[in-house]
Formats: sequence, structure tokens, C-alpha cells
Amino acid sequence: MSATLRHAGWVLRGNPVTACAAAGAVVLVAIAVLAPWITPYDPIASNVPAALQPPSATHWAGTDQLGRDIFSRLIGATRLDLGIAVSAVLLSFAAGATIGALCGYAGGRVDRSVGRLVDVLMAFPLFVLAMALVAALGNRVENIVIATALINLPFYIRFARAEVNVRRHAGWVEAARAGGESHATIVLAYLLPNILPAMAVQISLNLGWAILNAAGLSFLGLGVQAPTPEWGIMVAEGARFIGNGQWWLVAFPGLALMLAVLCFNLLGDGLRDILDPRMRT
Amino acid sequence: MSALLNIGRRVGKHLLASLPALFGVVLFTFLLMRVLPGDPAAFFASGPNAGQAEMAQIRETMGLDRPIPEQFVRYVGDLARGNLGQSMTTGQPVIADLAERMPASLELTLFALVLALALALPLGILAALRPNSLLDHGVRFVCTLGVCVPTFVTGLLLIYVFYYLLGLAPDPTGRVDIFAAPPPGITGFLLIDFLLVGDLAGWKAAFGQLILPACTMALFVLAPLARMTRASLLSVLGSDFIRTARSVGMSDWRVVVVYALRNALLPVLTIIGIVFSTMLGANVLVEKVFSWPGIGSYALDALLASDYAPVQGFVLLIAVIFVMVNLIIDVLYGIVDPRISLQ
Amino acid sequence: MSFDRFAFTRRQGLKAVLASAAGGALGAFGRVADAQAQTRAETLRHVLAGTVNTLDPTTPGATRESFGLSTAVYDRLASYGRKQVNGSWVFDFDNIRGELAEKVDRSADGRTFTFHLRKGATWHDGSPVTAEDVKWSLDRAVSAKSLAAGQIATGSLVKPEQFKVLGEGVVEVSLDRPDRLALANLAVPLSPMFNSTLARRNATAEDPWAQTWLKENTAGGGAYVVEQYKSGQQTILKRNEAWKNGAGGMLPYFRRVIAQTVPEAATRANLLERGDADIAIDLQSSDISALEARGKIKLVATPQINGFTAIVFNTRMAPFDNPKVRAALAAALPYEAMFEAALFRRGRALFGATWTEAPNGTFPQPLPFRTDPAKAKALLAEAGFPNGFKTTFSFSAGVAAVAEPMATLIREALGAVGVDVSIQKLPPAQMASMEVERRVPFFISAGTAWLPAPDYFLRNYFTGDHRWNFSGFSDPKLDALAQAARFEADAATYEATCRQMVDIAARDVPMIMVWQPNQDAVMAPAIDGYTYWFHGQVDYRDLRRA
Repeated sequence: MSATLRHAGWVLRGNPVTACAAAGAVVLVAIAVLAPWITPYDPIASNVPAALQPPSATHWAGTDQLGRDIFSRLIGATRLDLGIAVSAVLLSFAAGATIGALCGYAGGRVDRSVGRLVDVLMAFPLFVLAMALVAALGNRVENIVIATALINLPFYIRFARAEVNVRRHAGWVEAARAGGESHATIVLAYLLPNILPAMAVQISLNLGWAILNAAGLSFLGLGVQAPTPEWGIMVAEGARFIGNGQWWLVAFPGLALMLAVLCFNLLGDGLRDILDPRMRT
Repeated sequence: MSALLNIGRRVGKHLLASLPALFGVVLFTFLLMRVLPGDPAAFFASGPNAGQAEMAQIRETMGLDRPIPEQFVRYVGDLARGNLGQSMTTGQPVIADLAERMPASLELTLFALVLALALALPLGILAALRPNSLLDHGVRFVCTLGVCVPTFVTGLLLIYVFYYLLGLAPDPTGRVDIFAAPPPGITGFLLIDFLLVGDLAGWKAAFGQLILPACTMALFVLAPLARMTRASLLSVLGSDFIRTARSVGMSDWRVVVVYALRNALLPVLTIIGIVFSTMLGANVLVEKVFSWPGIGSYALDALLASDYAPVQGFVLLIAVIFVMVNLIIDVLYGIVDPRISLQ
Repeated sequence: MSFDRFAFTRRQGLKAVLASAAGGALGAFGRVADAQAQTRAETLRHVLAGTVNTLDPTTPGATRESFGLSTAVYDRLASYGRKQVNGSWVFDFDNIRGELAEKVDRSADGRTFTFHLRKGATWHDGSPVTAEDVKWSLDRAVSAKSLAAGQIATGSLVKPEQFKVLGEGVVEVSLDRPDRLALANLAVPLSPMFNSTLARRNATAEDPWAQTWLKENTAGGGAYVVEQYKSGQQTILKRNEAWKNGAGGMLPYFRRVIAQTVPEAATRANLLERGDADIAIDLQSSDISALEARGKIKLVATPQINGFTAIVFNTRMAPFDNPKVRAALAAALPYEAMFEAALFRRGRALFGATWTEAPNGTFPQPLPFRTDPAKAKALLAEAGFPNGFKTTFSFSAGVAAVAEPMATLIREALGAVGVDVSIQKLPPAQMASMEVERRVPFFISAGTAWLPAPDYFLRNYFTGDHRWNFSGFSDPKLDALAQAARFEADAATYEATCRQMVDIAARDVPMIMVWQPNQDAVMAPAIDGYTYWFHGQVDYRDLRRA
């Protein structure tokens, strides 16, 4: 364990980009946790006389169409956006890894029929599928999470299946089997933890992607409901004001969105390097 | 000859194996559209006197007055005869709409893919040759930046800067200058059609229309392509045969270009396939922003109106393309790496 | 918009205008230049958000843009006039002129109209317009399963027996009862006149009215001919050089019209500002003032005098079946803030009146709805909800630009009087079906009446079971008054009846018409003659480049 940490420290030192990304991710999580205590204004209280003000000392990121403080809304949105991304990714990871690992371990008919289902999902235009799902289930936060999770699912299943497939005849698995462990224990207690590091990379990359997906849905009017602050909706609404020169409505939420996605993507890359044994010297 | 036969057998097997998946797509889309809470009849009955009668008429036209299992059997029967149904939004048969709009989407996607590859491959190679250098981090950062901005924001910004502020790009409304002569309809790919008839001005105009939306899309797929090129080249460069080649004194350049790259391209090929099918399905937002008359924006409008037939047709089309792309990649794999076809 | 003038002086007015339109030897002039290249100046490029989904405006499911296009491609027997109000042109409901007919005689009992077709009028294929064509077109309107039947029934036109060919170029339309809106209904886009020979040639046994063929093809004689039709992308029109049926027999100015779908509002605004497009009428309110301030475009802002945006209560669903609850919420809504932040004051407010009894019978007119939280609280307590209640407020994602800020403000204001509102933005199709099935309790809707007579408004939006009675309101007295007004010949009685109806609408608050949004037509500075029409679309025949 300490060797891994030392290795991680070494990689981070040699890789300033990943270090920054990791720091950024920590800051994001901190903001999300502390959001209610650090917003200067109520993120949903309107103040029409102060609408559409450019950034100033009182409103660092300006105000929106209803006079709400954009900076406060950005902070308030962090919690929701990270929440959507994390729960969607965890959901598809939990379901996908379990199903995939079982298939990879069991092989045979189960594997083939699940494989068929995965083929069906993979053949869908995924963004349109997400749209249709949200439209069908209603545009509430939990449904956005479900839709995002579902369209990620096939990748996790495939990934887990392939990783387990490689390992299922490994010596330590055979040993466990010979030792009388049940199949369930072998999959859950031996194989899953073993493939976890490899999947962590995927998770990190997907976090960023999930945030973008939610933003795209918002742009089409299928995002979370007003007045809840959410980066994607803020960007989509702000985009309407670009032509008016009221750039702060789109620039700041866009920046927040970009930085968050950037953090997760770079972190994912970094994780890959940390976990890649070939990088260890 | 036997190689051809081999390829033929692979193609046949692959197609047969994909039929259940296609059927699954058809069934699932059909059901998904039926559970959409919007009633297309209520949406389209917008006449000044929209009453129950008008809605009943629309339901009848769309076949929605029948029980769902019967609707499905009819739908599959129609599919078998190549009939994808009628769009309420455009009032045209879906198959005609898709056929007309498909080249627009394909041309945009392919062009964007070529653009992305032209950037991603060199960048990925450079990064792999100097791993962990400033250059590597720079490439990684720049590519990742592209994935971090939602495509609709990139699109709107590009329009604002290059059309509105600078006036460099033509107006972002579709594929051709609306005042110019209509393009010759040979292949549907304007860049090819204009070349075929030797209309260079037309070609330039079509190219101009294409460049902004293609850039928007290319930026978004730069990262996976460059990343895969880098990773794959890195692992090849670390392998024994490269070490051997280097140890016998071959020039770096030769090792990379002749031996490493060829082997590294295999995984990249797979990624290209995935990226291409994803782009086709995901350029919904780009088409919307640039008024691009493709299949994505078509499906989007239909979906929001609960217009069943076009969405079903669109999803099926994408699924078929997905199968075809996989097939092509499979065949290409066989050609690039003969070991696979022996199995 | 007063109704008595319409009923009693229109006949003479109509004849006079028809006579002046009869001349028109300008047709030949156009044909000479036709072969020459059409310059950009003679082409109008209209960018729009929606699409034309059929060339036959009577197709069920036809979009508004299809109605708009049909006004240029088809002629009707008659047309509304236009007048200038505050420097901009608006349609004139009180002044109907002939289009395909050059003269109409109305019988003394008001039950028969005799139309005399314009001499020498031809269809696009050059064949002469006959009385049989008109008869066929009117028969089609009442018989075919189309949008037309429902519309012209509001003018008591319901069966083919009402239409008779009296002789060459003369058609008689008879009514069972004199109906105030009969003639007006023959001037709307849903009563186009078809070249029956051509249409019938393309009819089939299952489709005797050629409805399938006419979706993709035209059989008209209007000012423009369809040159290219790509549904969902663009429609290109070419001027019909033989057209003489316009006001004064004048040909329209533009030789060519391109109506192009550009879904992104910001792009439409950019196109206009860069001078690449000539006109758009569906930009976002938030863009308009900035566009105007930068001064590169011309703005014609006309309040939509026959339209409205409304906050609707479902009167068939608790707690909104209680008029006190509705009145309470009406007193709690933040009218000024909504008008300011959601609409940027771009329209005519319909709230804030101070009367207790309607001063006149016009409608829509500002009603006495004002923000008064204390009154709202008192009314809620009276209605049995001293601690408020929970409800949802819905709107279609298609109108989110204005509705979302409105909803946010409403939620805030109602929260202050104890009503807990959750906001529901729904995909357009879902919103439409929930509205029709009356499953939304409290929502935003909008309407436009083609025939802006007060009684037509009140009858359509406050009575009956059809969807336009958004609130599902049912009041026996209002129902009776609305029916009586339709056939009322006496102006004073009509006015009094309407006033009574307005009082009921203000007292029972089935819905709150908050404002009439502007039709903000943005155009190139040189474009002239834009007219706001009751159908809300651009009529290309009005426009010219100065």
C-alpha cells in the first residue's frame, strides 16, 4: 500500500498536470460539501431590479435575467452537478461491473445472452437514447441520473467482462476455487477488487462525460427543473445572451463546467499512469 | 482467392450475428416511443379549431388508434417492405427524409473525423515519442480541453467569433449558400459533387459551410483519438521487436514509421470506428446549432414532438451504420493483421 | 375593432375597394424581365424557426408556417384590409376587400352572399378561374377531413348545399341564420381556392379531395408559385407575373422569396444583423432591444392584438375549482416583475386595471388583477387554505425562454403567501397532451384568435369542451351570453353582452391573460410594408425593398 502511495507521489511530482487536476477535484468536492455556507447570496432568490448586471465587486460573476447572483448559483450548482455525475457513474459502475464480472466468470450461455443485450444498447445513438429516456420518465434529477447511467452501462459491462475473462483461470483464482470458495465469493471478493484499479480510470473519465451529458440535456430543455441552479442550464440560458454582449451569463458557468470536466479527465489520465505497472521503475 | 472467400465468410457471419441486435433496437425504440408521455395527436392538432375530431384523425393517420401489439406487427411488416412510416413534422415519408438528409450528416461526420485524425495522429505520435515531457502534457491538456466544452457552446462561440464578429465564415445556415445555384445531386456529398462537375466556386462555398461545424465536432473527438494513438504507440515502442530493431541500429524515424506505427494503428482503428458511430449519433446538437439539414436535427425535432416514425427510423439507421462500421473494421483488421483471420 | 361598423358599413366599403383593384395591367411588365437573372435585391430571404410541413394549409397537423406560406400561394375569395396604427401596419378586421372575388352582394336579411369572381383571373397553369372551382373548394372545406371544416363552421358554413353556382363567375353562399363571422371566415388561410380541374386530376377513390397530392403540390392561383419545397429546410417561391388579385391590382415587389428554417434564434439574429437575411419575426425578446440599440436593423414592434399569454387554472381540478383560490392567486402573482424580467416589457400588459365593472365590451382588455399579497392571504384563508397548499406549475419547454423566468418568479411570490409551487418544464408534445387531457393544475398557455371579435374570443377561450378552453371553465351564464352574442345584430346589445362576459372573466378568474406579447418583426432597414396579420405570419405580398 505504502509502495503504491509512494508511486502515486512520484507520478504526481513528475506529472504536474495530474497533480493540478487532483487538487482541482479536491477543491470541487470541498465546494460541493460547503456550498450552503459559502454562497454570498441565496442562489434562487430573484431580485429583478438588479437583473443582468455585469461582474462587479458586489456580484463577482454578475447577475442573471432575474437578478440572481451568478457566483452563488455556480457554487450552489457544484453540489448538484457533482451529485448527478457521481451517482450516475457509480450506478453504472456498480451494475456494469457486477454483470460484466459475472458474465466473464460464468461464460457460456449467460455470457452470450448478456452480450446480445449489450450489443443492442451499443447500437443505439446514445445521446438520443438518453433524451428519449428522460422525456419518457420525466425530467427530474433521478431520471437524468438513470439515463446517464444506462447509456454508460454497456462500456462497464464489456470492460469488466474482458478483465475478468483474462483472470478467471489465473493461479490465484484457481487456488481460491480449490480452497472451496463459492463462485459468488470468488467474483465479488477476489475478481472485482482485482479489476477495480483498471476501472477507476474509466470512472474518472466518465465523471466528466456525465456532467457534459447533463448539460446537453439541459440545452434541449430536458434538464433539471427551475429554479435549481445547474451548470448546463446556466450555460444553455446564458447562450441566449451572447448576442447581446452579456457574456458573463454564459462565460462563468461555461468555465465552471469546463474546469470540472477538465479536472476529471486529466485525473483519469493520471490515474492510468499511476496504475500502469509499466510506468513504475 | 481463399482470402476473399475468408472475408466473405466473415462478413456473412457478422451480418447474421447482428440481426438479433437490430431486432432488439427496433423493439426497444418502438416501446420507448410508446411510453413517451406526449400524445403526438395533441401536439399536432394545433389548428384554430383543434378538437377531438382533429386529434382522432391524426391518431388514425399515424395508426395510433390500434392496439400496441398490432401497431408493432404492422411496423415490422412495413419495415420488411422498406417503409419506415410517415413523418408528421415534415409530412414526408421517413425513408425519403433520411435518404435526403443522410449525405449531409455523413459528409459532416466524415470530414470532422478526417480533420480530427489529421490533428490527433501527429499529436499522439509526438506525445508518445516524448512521454512525460512538457510536450506530452501540453498535448494532453489541449486535447482534453476540447472534450470539456459542450459542443453547443463551442458551436455558438465559433459562430459568434468567425461569422458575427470577424465575418470570415459564411452564414451558418446549412450546407450551401442559399443564393447560389443548387448543387448538382450526384452523390449527395457536396465536396465530391462540385468536384465532379468542376465547379470550384461551389466547392469552396460548400467547404466554407462545412468548416465550422466540422471543427466543433472534431474538437470534441480529438482527445480519445490522440490519447489512444499515444497509448498504443507507447506500448508498441516498449515491446521487444522494437527494442530489437533499435538494437540493430535502425534509425529512430524508420523504427517509428515503418514498424511501430503500423502495429500501433490497430487499436486506433477500433477507436475510430467507435468514434465515428458515436459522432453520427451525437451530432444532434451540432446540427441544431448550425441549421445543418442532417438526420440528427431531424430526429431531435421529431422526438420533442413525439413524432414516432422519424425517431424510430433514425435509431434504426444509426444501428445499421453501427453494424456496418464494425463490419468494416473487422474486415480491415483481417487485412492489417492476417493472424486474426486465421483464427 | 368595433364590431358594428364591420356589420353595417362593410358592404359599401368592400365594393369600393374591389372596384379599385379591378384594373391592373401590370402583369405583362413583369414577364419581360423574367428571364434575366434575379438579383439579390429582388429576393426576400425570410429566416424562421419552424418549418412548413405541408403545402395544403388545411392538412391536419399543419404548422403556422404552412398557413403563412399558403397566403402567398393561394388566393381566398376575400381578404382583410390593413391599416396603420402608430406608424406600423396591422390587419383591419373591419375592412374586408375582395381577393379572388371582385364584388360581393349581401342580401338584406344577411343570409346570402353572392360572389362575383374577378374577370380574367387565372390559375398558375394559365387556365381560367371558374365558379365551379370555387364551389369545389368550398365543398372541400366543409366535406374533407381537414382543418378547414372546424374553422369555417364558426361562420355557420357547414354543408355543400350552402354553395351554389349561379352562372359564369358567380357563386352564392347561403346561411341558415345571419352569422357575424361568415364572410370573415372566407378570408382566413383555411379557405383557400383551388384549381379544381388540376386537383381532381390527382384525386383518387380513397382521397376524393386530393389531400395527399396537395400536401406536396399546389393547385392555386396566388401571388407566388412554389419553385422548390424542402420540408424542414426551405421553401422557395417565384412571383406569379399574371397575378392581379392584390390591393390595387399590383404585383408584389419581390420576384423571389426564400423561406428558410434556421432553428437557433441567436443565429437568426446574427443573420439579420449581418445583412444576410431580410426578415424574421420570431427572435427572442431578450435580443430585441440590443439589436435595436445597435441600429443595423429595422424593428417593427406590434402588440399581437388578437393574441395573449395566459396563466391558467384548471377549474376542474381541486383546489382551483374554487373561485376564491383562483382570485387569491391572482392577487399574489408578481405581474410587474414578470413583465419586466421575462418579457422585457415587450408587449401590452393586460393586468393592473382599476375598474370594478367592465368599462366596455372589448376583449382582451386589461383586467383588474394587481399584486396584493395581503388580499391573497385573506382570500386563501376564506377559501379554507390559511396555510396555503402545494401545487405544480407547468409550461412547455418550447416557450421556456419567457415561461421559465415567469415560473421562477411565480414560485417565489406564491411561496410568500404559503403556496408551495414546484415547477414542471415539459417536452412540448407532453405539455400539449396533458393540457388536452386537463391533467395540469396550473400552467402557462397562449392563444391567438384569427377572428378577433370579442365574442369569438370569449366563446373560444372561456366556454366549451375543446382544448382552447384551457381552464375547462364552465359558467352557464357566460355560455348563454357567448352564444347569443354570435347572432346579435344590434350593436348596443352586443356591446352590453360582451361587457357582461368580461365581468364574469374578471370575477371568476378561470385564467389570467397577462399580456399580449409584441410581434417583433426584425428586418433589413430597406424593407418596407411589413404588416402584422391575424395569423401571425409574414405575408410576402406586403413587402418591398425601398
